[in-house]
Amino acid sequence: MSMPAFTVPQVSHAPQDLAGLTEKVGVRNLNFYYGQNRALKNINVSLYRNKVTAFIGPSGCGKSTLLRILNRIYDIYPNQRAEGEIQFDGEDILSPGQDVNLLRARIGMVFQKPTPFPMTIYENIAFGIRLYHKVSKSELDDRVREALDRAALWTEVKDKLGANGLSLSGGQQQRLCIARTVAVRPEVILLDEPCSALDPISTAKIEELIDELKSDYTIVIVTHNMQQAARVSDFTAFMYLGELIEFGSTTDMFTSPKDQRTQDYITGRFG
Amino acid sequence: MSVTGLYASRRRSNTIAITLSVAATVIGLGWLVLILGVLFWEGFSGLSLAVFTEMTPPPGSAGGLLNPIMGSLMLTTLAVLLGTPIGILAGTYMAEYGRHARLTQVVRFINDILLSAPSIVIGLFVYEIMVYPMGHFSGYAGIVALALIVIPVVVRTTEDMLILVPTTLREAAFALGMPRYRIIMHISYRAARAGMLTGVLLAVARISGETAPLLFTALNNQFWNTNLNAPISSLPVVIFQFALSPYKDWQQLAWTGALITTIAVLALSIIARALAAPGKQT
Amino acid sequence: MPSTGREPVVDVALQGQGAFTGDTVARQRTLAKLKFSDRAFHNLTRGAAILVLVILGGVIVALVHGSWLAITTFGLDFLTTQSWNPVTEKFGAIAPIYGTLVTSLIAMLIAVPLGLLIALFLTELCPMSLRRPIGIAIELLAGIPSIIYGIWGLFILAPFLQVHVQPALIGAFGNVPILSTLFAGPPYGIGVLTAGLILAIMVLPFITSITRDVFEAVPPVLKEAAFGLGCTTWEVSRRVVLPYARVGVIGGVMLGLGRALGETMAVTFVIGNAHKISASIIAPGTTISASIANEFTEAVGDIYTSSLIALGLILFVITFIVLAIARYLLARVERKLGS
Repeated sequence: MSMPAFTVPQVSHAPQDLAGLTEKVGVRNLNFYYGQNRALKNINVSLYRNKVTAFIGPSGCGKSTLLRILNRIYDIYPNQRAEGEIQFDGEDILSPGQDVNLLRARIGMVFQKPTPFPMTIYENIAFGIRLYHKVSKSELDDRVREALDRAALWTEVKDKLGANGLSLSGGQQQRLCIARTVAVRPEVILLDEPCSALDPISTAKIEELIDELKSDYTIVIVTHNMQQAARVSDFTAFMYLGELIEFGSTTDMFTSPKDQRTQDYITGRFG
Repeated sequence: MSVTGLYASRRRSNTIAITLSVAATVIGLGWLVLILGVLFWEGFSGLSLAVFTEMTPPPGSAGGLLNPIMGSLMLTTLAVLLGTPIGILAGTYMAEYGRHARLTQVVRFINDILLSAPSIVIGLFVYEIMVYPMGHFSGYAGIVALALIVIPVVVRTTEDMLILVPTTLREAAFALGMPRYRIIMHISYRAARAGMLTGVLLAVARISGETAPLLFTALNNQFWNTNLNAPISSLPVVIFQFALSPYKDWQQLAWTGALITTIAVLALSIIARALAAPGKQT
Repeated sequence: MPSTGREPVVDVALQGQGAFTGDTVARQRTLAKLKFSDRAFHNLTRGAAILVLVILGGVIVALVHGSWLAITTFGLDFLTTQSWNPVTEKFGAIAPIYGTLVTSLIAMLIAVPLGLLIALFLTELCPMSLRRPIGIAIELLAGIPSIIYGIWGLFILAPFLQVHVQPALIGAFGNVPILSTLFAGPPYGIGVLTAGLILAIMVLPFITSITRDVFEAVPPVLKEAAFGLGCTTWEVSRRVVLPYARVGVIGGVMLGLGRALGETMAVTFVIGNAHKISASIIAPGTTISASIANEFTEAVGDIYTSSLIALGLILFVITFIVLAIARYLLARVERKLGS
């Protein structure tokens, strides 16, 4: 964690072979506007099934914006507009006919700051499940437990499921939010700087969790922490001023970046 | 010399201004304390069990305030039950579905005006739409008049409180694929409930003392009555009539009624404030 | 559906490829239901919001309808004549309009400076430990029903003024040209001046708490910069706080004025209900709201009732304009703070 900024981060995953990968989400010629302001310029990127893709770049480069388009959270605000195409298992996420609620159930999201709902730990998880699945009480119990288990939180909270979600520590709250997202059984999980509000130990726990979850999900993570990107991701995309500068396997990106700007950013010369 | 002379005059005007503002505070607060002091003094001297157990008397004999107290309780409760849901729904629209809509801006403006519109005009309005067509004064008309005063108060606080619910919380719920109405019911309302309850309590406090809209809707009733289709007694109207009467017993009852009303209003406001205090932190 | 291990997660993940069509159908059905409920709730809340507009519209329509007879009978004369005679059925609104404006003017002349000074004390001078209690006390007092102020005015203030203050005023100003007309006549106790005083006490907490809020919104850096130049507290207040908060203060004052104009109970007790304009402010008079409150239930004859409703319409129009200006100014302040 205390690595000096100028050393190239250590990559922990084997180099990626593009053959044999399935594209889960394909972004094509995506442009995004806040009012008149063009925040994303012609983004093209593929997110592969059961892989972790990290988006890095200086703040304001548009990485969080991109994430918020993938589940159309931007829809709830006026004056925000996306153009282009995002293929998700053959359907276009951006098409007006897309049912956004269903989309969001299939593409889950974990936010920068933990956002437990003002209810008990149990209810926080059960709430999302009940939305789309009619389940019996015992089945619900099972699924709550399963979700908490997957988020490595079960042993810590199993005796206080009735306690308020806000009573947990910051790291626990964030894992609760991950559990809540997992409980809905999405296909893709979007993580928007999930560790930026957490201490190093909680961060390590969440990174471990990401590594485990990718066997079942397609994971996208936005982070300002290059070490973290290097540690958890298989693919990395570098963004700068609303453009996607470079995309490739994490190993390639961190060992032999093609673009000078990527190299400068990774070695800490700007950002 | 001139520098120090200038400074001395500046200091002098500062001292004068400070003295004036301290004096203003003493006068302002003192006056209000005086009003409350007299109210408690006069009110308590007439307070007895009979006030709560006996009907309003004819002039020159002893009695109590049982029927106006009951009437006020009924009118206030039913008005709140009628006005609160409408107010909460409208406030919900303004803070959630229609936060950026043009309609919301218009409604907010109009609601703010209704919030401080003269309550006697509300009384006239209800007289026109209910009392006149029905041909007689009634408890129902009083309830509608009071409910019309409840609505703007609840609209305002509901909107304010829902807007305070953090956007991150709402986004997190959206990200689960929840439809908006579920988010509102399960997340927004839950997060804002203390503040919303405060709003309702403030509305209760406000209508507990309202007199003007009842004068020509619920009117008054010398006797025990729980029939809402007939004129019904209420504390503020009885205070008004009895205070302006030439009879000593009636005037005494007016003071006692005023004391009861004030205590109820103050208690409600204090509870509302206490409820709102912890809600502000989250 | 037995849920063992991670199997179900994969099920759902595979559904895009058509492995579990049954689940998809069930989902579609839930989805349609959710969508319907959402639309229903959306429309319900929207309806409630529109109802607020309908209420205002209804008030205007009802008042115009109710006063139509008076409007058509008297025309514009209604606004300019003083006669208020139920026997001859001649009604004019100028006396109550005049009373409403004068009592409110007296109230504002007293309450605005006092309120500003108290707000200044609370934000700039008061020791921290006292700020909250005094602030809360003032807000609680703003919520006390106006009838309490009225009854106090009738039984305490009016007799006091009658015995101690008004004779002194009459005596002191008896030979001063303009003031002698202002304080002419016998000391009744009740009258325009008393009503104005009661109104002043009533709106004082109101103006104070809004002004204090506006003062508190002045950015501390601004004040610090002025103090840093060596300004005294008074100079900071006058040159920085007040100019910065000007629009909000005016908004707060207008809101207080709206209250004072429409106030019924605090005034009705002590105004004397005399439908005539006198030059003397210690003489009895009437206001729009006091006339309605006193006479409405006893009014016989359609034209009498209609005239009273017309008074209500005039009151509504006046307060609407004042309140609209107040809200516009306060909204401007809020927008400035928001950006």
